Amino acid sequence: MKKSLLTIMFIICAVITTFAQDSAYQKAMKKEIDKLDAADSLHKFQQSANGFARISQLNPNEWQPYYYNALACIYQGLDNSLDLNKKDEVLAKAEELIKKADAISPNNSEIVTLEGFKIMAEVSADPASRGQSLSGAVMSTFGKAMKMDPQNPRAALLMGQMEFGLARFFKSGTEKACGLVKQSQAIFAAQDDEALKAKLAPTWGRPLAEKSAKACQ
Amino acid sequence: MKTFLLSLPIICLTLTTLAQTIISGKISDQKGSGIPGANILIKGTYDGTSSDADGNFKFETSETGKHLLVFQAMGYKPQEREIECSGLPVSFQISLSENINMLTAVTITAGAMEASDTKKAVVLKPLDIVTTSGAMGNITAALLTLPGTSTVGNDGRLFVRGGDASETSIFIDGLQVGNAYGSTAANVPTRNRFSPNLFKGSFFSTGGYSAEYGQALSSALALNTLDLPLRNQGDLSIMSLGGGYTQTLVKENNALTATANYYNLAPYQSLISQKFDWEKSPSNWDTEVSLRHKWGKAGFLKAYAHTEGSDMTIWQPVAGESGRGDRVHINNRYSYGNLSFRQSGKHDWFFYGGLAYSHNRDAINLNYVPVRQVNQLGHAKVVAVKDFSPQFSLKNGIEYYLKSYSEELVDDHLKRSITDNQLTHFIETDYYFSNRLIFRGGLRSGYSTAAKQLWLDPRISLAYKLNNQGQFSIAAGKFHQLPDEKLRVLQNNLQNAEASHYILNYFIVNNNRTFRAEAFYKTYDNLSTYNGTDLAPVNITQKGSGYARGADFFYRDKTSFKNTDFWITYSFVDSKRRYSVFETKVQPSFAPKHNGSVVIKHFVGALKSQLGTSWSWNNGYTYNDPNLAGEMQRKTRAYSDLSISWSYLPRPNIILHAACSNILGRNNVFGYKYASQPDEAGYFARIPVGQGATRMAFIGLFITFSHDKNANQLNNL
Repeated sequence: MKKSLLTIMFIICAVITTFAQDSAYQKAMKKEIDKLDAADSLHKFQQSANGFARISQLNPNEWQPYYYNALACIYQGLDNSLDLNKKDEVLAKAEELIKKADAISPNNSEIVTLEGFKIMAEVSADPASRGQSLSGAVMSTFGKAMKMDPQNPRAALLMGQMEFGLARFFKSGTEKACGLVKQSQAIFAAQDDEALKAKLAPTWGRPLAEKSAKACQ
Repeated sequence: MKTFLLSLPIICLTLTTLAQTIISGKISDQKGSGIPGANILIKGTYDGTSSDADGNFKFETSETGKHLLVFQAMGYKPQEREIECSGLPVSFQISLSENINMLTAVTITAGAMEASDTKKAVVLKPLDIVTTSGAMGNITAALLTLPGTSTVGNDGRLFVRGGDASETSIFIDGLQVGNAYGSTAANVPTRNRFSPNLFKGSFFSTGGYSAEYGQALSSALALNTLDLPLRNQGDLSIMSLGGGYTQTLVKENNALTATANYYNLAPYQSLISQKFDWEKSPSNWDTEVSLRHKWGKAGFLKAYAHTEGSDMTIWQPVAGESGRGDRVHINNRYSYGNLSFRQSGKHDWFFYGGLAYSHNRDAINLNYVPVRQVNQLGHAKVVAVKDFSPQFSLKNGIEYYLKSYSEELVDDHLKRSITDNQLTHFIETDYYFSNRLIFRGGLRSGYSTAAKQLWLDPRISLAYKLNNQGQFSIAAGKFHQLPDEKLRVLQNNLQNAEASHYILNYFIVNNNRTFRAEAFYKTYDNLSTYNGTDLAPVNITQKGSGYARGADFFYRDKTSFKNTDFWITYSFVDSKRRYSVFETKVQPSFAPKHNGSVVIKHFVGALKSQLGTSWSWNNGYTYNDPNLAGEMQRKTRAYSDLSISWSYLPRPNIILHAACSNILGRNNVFGYKYASQPDEAGYFARIPVGQGATRMAFIGLFITFSHDKNANQLNNL
């Protein structure tokens, strides 16, 4: 009796710990995502990227850790305290991670948007020599992401940002740009952040949409 | 029992939360300075942390027993250490060694000038080739603004560092292109047949290049075609000289591009007075199809076919004779096909190669005597590259060339020809001692069935990067090339001419400013010499030799002046050779001593326009005056050409482009043609070899049709 109870106990313990293992992934992810949302310095983005990298090595078949790791790298690539070489190095890392995410979850509008965001960061690292050659690639990538999922607020928002730059360049109207920003705002307003967060799905971009909408007024 | 069940969670809890182990330490590079932002983790767990600004780290883990601790940092090789988690604190001092970083590591820049969007050590972006004023969409003309080149205005081809135009070989996706320039009459400049819009980048070497390229004494130009275009689109061009249409269709992993163009200079030449005496102005049609297939994750399959035809009739005055002179009619048919692949294999293998074939037929009518010339060039190539480590890679390739040429006096049924089969092998290794120092060594060997000759070309280069982003490179090597087919057809067993290159290069790119300086020394041996004339050589021997030495400088700046991008080039070449009909070493007509160019592009936002100007200059071409003793005694006055261009983008998908060459109207002379016999006073009469027209004006409208209203033909600027 005692022996069998002990066995049961160990099985229960094992079950509990494996359960804990699964939710440990969720928990670890949620913690890191919150940290990334709050990160505001190069060092914190670096920490965040490392955090997601630690999760990836344990959960190599999930696309989200690669996705957020890449996002944390792109944020670093947008930090102006880094020189061009460092920016390119960290953006090359982002590219590598995006490829891994894409291999796990192909035709994912969020991952395609992230790819566009990465090229956007490459352009902003050296606009004088990259603007002309890469802007087309940025816009066609966002276009692809919007086609895959018209309800992707980040694709619409970032496309709006590109249209904004273009309108300024050609001194034409910003209707198209602002239309996209409004569209993304509406999608953000309608989305259930808690439900998305529970699925570890991306929710970022809302503050940028608000800021862009202000520029449109 | 109840108590037992109650205690279960507690036992479980204690099972999972045993004593905490504190892990701390410092991560530094090999010089001892701390690495911030390194990742420290226990393999197989979520436990870990990042190092702080000084490289220090500290974290707790509840794991017990033996584990692997992993240290990772971007740009460094990761390390692992075994740890025992027992509740007692453990500490590590880790020194990580640098990884070879292809993005920032030193690159070999000796002799090389790259146009690329992705690489660092480049002098041009692919777009520059098409947006350079004065180039008018001609790849060659844009490259002539780079150091080491000489503009020879009555020829139009690439002349590199005292070498003639045949010493530059041109490759598309690694496969050689025969007759890359349009057929033309003597002293009427030609253009490159291939549109710059086909290419995503180029690699232009003015010496000391890789063992992958051979049968070129001076220079190699490798053009790489675009992978997948961005979108479906149609591009329409309406120009003062003709027009064309390109349709691009893109699917997930496939793309098809089809193009047709027609040019006819007759309307333009009837409006603007010409110095050349055209009976029939040049006209040209071309059509091309390109298919691209993305093959797996990293591979590509590409097929490309290009065919074109041209026709012209010109009268060329003969010195010492009155009248219109010689009548030259040229009808050309040209086709080029290229099938190429690249694919990466397992275990860091990478493969590429392909097949190419070009066929060129010139039906020439010289003073109503028909002559027919046919060139064929076949090239097959397979290359395998193995990366043994990030430091060390080895490239191995074999190539087969079929080269044939025939010329025929049609009325007399007189025909002569040469067919040559060449087999080539090359092996090359790249070794990175560190991110700062790279060595490249290669050996190329070849055999020609026509020459019955085996040759070996060893090549080496070395590059070292300094602290301040600048870098030094040196390169040296041997180069072999068989003589021109027009000589080989007379004597099929002519042997290789030989050149040796020695190059010292300094290159720095920083904050959108690029400076490049290069010194070179080149020797030539076994150059072909003969009696008679260039058109009718007799007694061919290969006793010619010579040298070229000099230095060139390039400075490009995109930041100092707002919205302005400019570059300045100066090339000094001191070259003498005994070749052709010359009995002594002379400075060739195609090797002016001092050469310079300035290119400026300025964007004016308010006008939605890009304004461009380019100036090309040299101190004159040598020429032989039979009225004087000796050879190549004289030199023309300096050559100078100032071109301007204006590109206007009223809407994102429309470009209006206008350009004019030689706006100052300078009467450039490239040399003189002398009478073959002296006149009664014993004097050889002469006529200058000059420009076809004082100026060349161009206007074109480029419209892009696509769902994406922002797509345009920026490439056509």
